[in-house]
Amino acid sequence: MTIKQQLQACRSKEETFKALVSLSKSLARLPAEEKTEEHKVKGCESAVWLIEQDIDGACYFKADSDAKLMRGVLVALLNLVNGKSKADIQAMDLANELAELNLGSYLTSSRSNGVLGILHAMQN
Amino acid sequence: MAFDPLSIRSQFPILAQQAYDNPLIYLDNAATTQKPLSVLEAMHNYYLTANANVHRGAHYLSDKATDQFENARLRVAQFINAPQQSQVIWTKGTTESINLVAYGLEHLIQAGDEILITSLEHHANLVPWQQLAFRTGARLRVLPLTSDAEWQEELTHYFTERTKIFAVTQVSNAIGVHTPIEMLIQQAKQHGAFTLVDGAQAVAHYPVDVAKLDCDFYVFSGHKMYGPTGIGVLYGKHHALEVLMPYQTGGEMVSKVSYQATEFNVLPYRLEAGTPHMEGAIGLAAACDFVDQQDRQSMLAWEQQLANHVWVTLQKAANVEIYSPEHNATLVSLSVPNVHTLDLNAYLDSQGIAVRAGSHCAQPLMAQLGVTGTLRASFACYNTLQEAERFCDVLIEAIDLLAEE
Ligand SMILES: Cc1ncc(COP(=O)(O)O)c(C=O)c1O
Repeated sequence: MTIKQQLQACRSKEETFKALVSLSKSLARLPAEEKTEEHKVKGCESAVWLIEQDIDGACYFKADSDAKLMRGVLVALLNLVNGKSKADIQAMDLANELAELNLGSYLTSSRSNGVLGILHAMQN
Repeated sequence: MAFDPLSIRSQFPILAQQAYDNPLIYLDNAATTQKPLSVLEAMHNYYLTANANVHRGAHYLSDKATDQFENARLRVAQFINAPQQSQVIWTKGTTESINLVAYGLEHLIQAGDEILITSLEHHANLVPWQQLAFRTGARLRVLPLTSDAEWQEELTHYFTERTKIFAVTQVSNAIGVHTPIEMLIQQAKQHGAFTLVDGAQAVAHYPVDVAKLDCDFYVFSGHKMYGPTGIGVLYGKHHALEVLMPYQTGGEMVSKVSYQATEFNVLPYRLEAGTPHMEGAIGLAAACDFVDQQDRQSMLAWEQQLANHVWVTLQKAANVEIYSPEHNATLVSLSVPNVHTLDLNAYLDSQGIAVRAGSHCAQPLMAQLGVTGTLRASFACYNTLQEAERFCDVLIEAIDLLAEE
């Protein structure tokens, strides 16, 4: 199952919670020295760091958070964009992609602002 | 005068609902309480039978509305034992009450004066004083949180001849600790400082007697004591209210206006510019009735028992750090090493349990505790022992699910 399918299969808030916990385990954590103020994404309830790397014209993001569910969300978000060109990422309707991940029950309005901030940072 | 949590609960229909297929368990009462039917009915009836602008029209409805509105003021004055109803100023809440005082006293504050607060304050009782200090060149000082015995020793360093204002919370919203306000107010008075007590977290739980407390100002919000949102109170001693410069001007607060000058109205109107929150005041009076109809001692004992149950259970069963006192608190504030409070909150929420995670508008306090936030379960009269037990069970489940492997 793809990440999207895993999340779409969740039928309750609790299932989404457990799916995000399980996804979170596959995130490569950032070393402390990369978790700088400069890499911090503003507007998230938990601390989120995002680092962009360009490898042969393709974008690869590294990310981390101090909250586990957010790390699960980051795994899903990175999966959407990693390996694409910046132009392709900019052309994506990321808000719509996010909606398709079926995170509605996890992303209460205050949290979803933070996640939209991460998507914004990925496109800019 | 009896207290029975289950019969009380039936007066709060909102609590009967399901949250994501689980029974809703509302333990975020320190943020805002739910409202009993009597409060909702009082506001509803006001609109059904009495609505008109107050103090202005000389007609049947306006008189009726004015009577109900002023009776509400009297009711709140009785509730906190204020000697006169003109000492009760309506505001939109604790935050506005404190701002009203901070701006109102500005003309008496000079560079080099000191404003003293404590390390337990909500941002609402911190930022207005800090900004007042910035505007006037006064110095903001912070009495550190220490155990009772040490309070005494520290005091002499912090209360000085320059202390002009002392503002203190009665109960900490973030960790549930009580401050020794009687003793602190006496200290402040000996140094001639104005005293303000933030009663936001106290009024729903403890009988308040402002005359006995002897503070210059006492402030609270309706919505944290079973009353409506958008209404709050500034109580003040007469002379203390008299020296406040109105920080809002306009209608209602004036007695005579020309293009050259304005004569302000008498108290309490002088500090209440514009059309007031009439149904809010009436709802708050109904909330005072609701609280006073209970056996307050048993009600408080019940809330403390629920918090204590959680404290004891979690202390034994889980790897938690608890910041609230074991006894006499009505909330439990905690953190779990290596687990983010937002994650705990998300799991509790998925099970229908409402708590609060975060800094509780007390970031400097969180910094002193060495955490970015805590998880807070706060109790009200309608909570049950089953709810407290379920909170503990689900929290322990959450910790198991989230602990780092
Ligand atoms: C101790 C304390 N002070 C002040 C406030 C601010 O109250 P309000 O937001 O109703 O103005 C609160 C509420 O969160 C509080 O708990």
